[in-house]
Amino acid sequence: MSSPLLSVSGLTKRYRRGGKTIAAVDNVSFHIEPGETLALAGPSGSGKSTIARLVLRLVQPDAGDIQFKGEDFLALGGATLRARRARLQMVFQDPLAAFNPRATVARVLDDPLRIHGIASRSERPRRIAALLERVGLSPDLAPRAIHEISGGQRQRVAIARAIATKPSLIVLDEAVSALDVSVRGQILRLLLDLQREERIAYLFISHDLGVVRAIAHRLVILDAGTIAESGDARTVIDAPQSAIGKALVVAAPKLDRTGP
Amino acid sequence: MTALLSIRDLTVIYRRDGSEVAALKDISLDIAVGERLAVIGESGSGKSTLALAIARLLPASARIDGSIDWFLRPPPTLGAKAPPSVLPDISPSRGEIALSSPPSPISKVAGEDPTAKLPISLLEGEMSGRTEGGLMERKAQKSTAKPDHTPLGGRDIGFVFQDPSASLDPVMTVGKQIAEVAHTHLGLNWPQAYAKAKTLIERVRLPDPDAALRAFPHQLSGGQKQRVAIAAAIAAGPKLLIADEATSALDTIVQAEIVALIRQLVAEDGMTLLFISHDIALAAALAERIAVFRHGGLVEIGAARQIVSAPRHAYTRSLLDAHLGLDAEPLSRQAGPSA
Repeated sequence: MSSPLLSVSGLTKRYRRGGKTIAAVDNVSFHIEPGETLALAGPSGSGKSTIARLVLRLVQPDAGDIQFKGEDFLALGGATLRARRARLQMVFQDPLAAFNPRATVARVLDDPLRIHGIASRSERPRRIAALLERVGLSPDLAPRAIHEISGGQRQRVAIARAIATKPSLIVLDEAVSALDVSVRGQILRLLLDLQREERIAYLFISHDLGVVRAIAHRLVILDAGTIAESGDARTVIDAPQSAIGKALVVAAPKLDRTGP
Repeated sequence: MTALLSIRDLTVIYRRDGSEVAALKDISLDIAVGERLAVIGESGSGKSTLALAIARLLPASARIDGSIDWFLRPPPTLGAKAPPSVLPDISPSRGEIALSSPPSPISKVAGEDPTAKLPISLLEGEMSGRTEGGLMERKAQKSTAKPDHTPLGGRDIGFVFQDPSASLDPVMTVGKQIAEVAHTHLGLNWPQAYAKAKTLIERVRLPDPDAALRAFPHQLSGGQKQRVAIAAAIAAGPKLLIADEATSALDTIVQAEIVALIRQLVAEDGMTLLFISHDIALAAALAERIAVFRHGGLVEIGAARQIVSAPRHAYTRSLLDAHLGLDAEPLSRQAGPSA
């Protein structure tokens, strides 16, 4: 087995509220291989999104260790951290909230290319057009404002922005949860294509086990900040062992298409 | 089936930045007394506009054409006995809010006499599918009808929205918000209204009802807030409960609990349910009939069982195919780690 792309051990984040200390994430360990999709699932408040923020270093953990590409990710700072961040990208549930709504599509895609010094000023329009085509959008969309395009188009732009820096890992936090089902299928297929062609790994956070089963290789089920169970995604979903795993499976809406 | 309300040729046009967008186009459908009808569709299908039109909550700038006729129980004083078939929807606790309701076309086309928009077939033709009693009621009311006898939001229609944080008042206790509905629409005094609120909090199964009465919305979880919103929506004993994506912002486990709660309350109170959702599996699990909307049009309507097992329309089939269930094949197995 090759060395993991991301290795998280003993990750802990506590919040203090009204004199009480709550562990949002409590001693969580997992790893992700290159080109692999690891899903984090669990009910509201189970710690999924806090783990995403910790891995992205948007918040600091109280304890634990994060190795990314063999480096101590938590020890990095300054220019080194900024450089490594290009390899670790993110897509959130609501791209309208993630972007300046008045920015144009071109501007949203120009930023990472410029900031990470990936393309010169003269080269960037061509790169932007190529990125748009890569995610199945017309380059004609470049001058449009983010708020003018549809939700599915916006999520494609968010993915284009994420892959602009050639990342090894993308954290997808409920990235398809707000999309219409028809668009959701297209975005999931796009993610699979990108993974196959560029060997990108995904940390895929979702409360929807149907989506997880469709896209993830392995699954970690969280409950109240701790890992309830983990394993091959299909195996866990088909025969959950933990109480929370069973509850999630029972609660998932089932569609019985057989006739009366 | 006895219709609770009948929608005919409903068109709703929103005006935005000088241009007009038809959110609903020529919709005709009936909602039967006591049924659970789901309206499903994707963004821009018009499903929420339909819910708002029925609840008369559309913005004043919206242009509305067509009619929504209600067949609410006539007051006993009007003489004509209601046919037995409409009785099961009336729970004993709601005797005091009997009301008469004339046909209520909601058309508000500027410059036109609203009475001109009354359905032409008011007393003939189209009535053939309805009961004789219904006809009598409407004849009887014709002379006594007052414009304020239209169905009233909060009293005759309970509405549960997607985001309970937006529909609850953040600086009013939960108890007061529920009691206010009972006070306003049932004419209860405040102690009675608070007692009713406590009963409702127990019915929606909030833990520690006495503490919940005094709590503010921000002290509750998302699922608990939605339970409060449901308690307020049913406080006046509405005939129709509209749930517009009421479980969409909740996690799967809480969603299943809220759906079970809605099902139970609707059955206990004999309410009619209009369940608006983007989730065809959830709709099929809860509703007896499903109406599929797309781009403001009604694609098809039928028994839930038929819609999911034998859809007539290709669009419905595509929605079913897009559903990712726990038994679906993974989209791709080739994308795995090569290590």
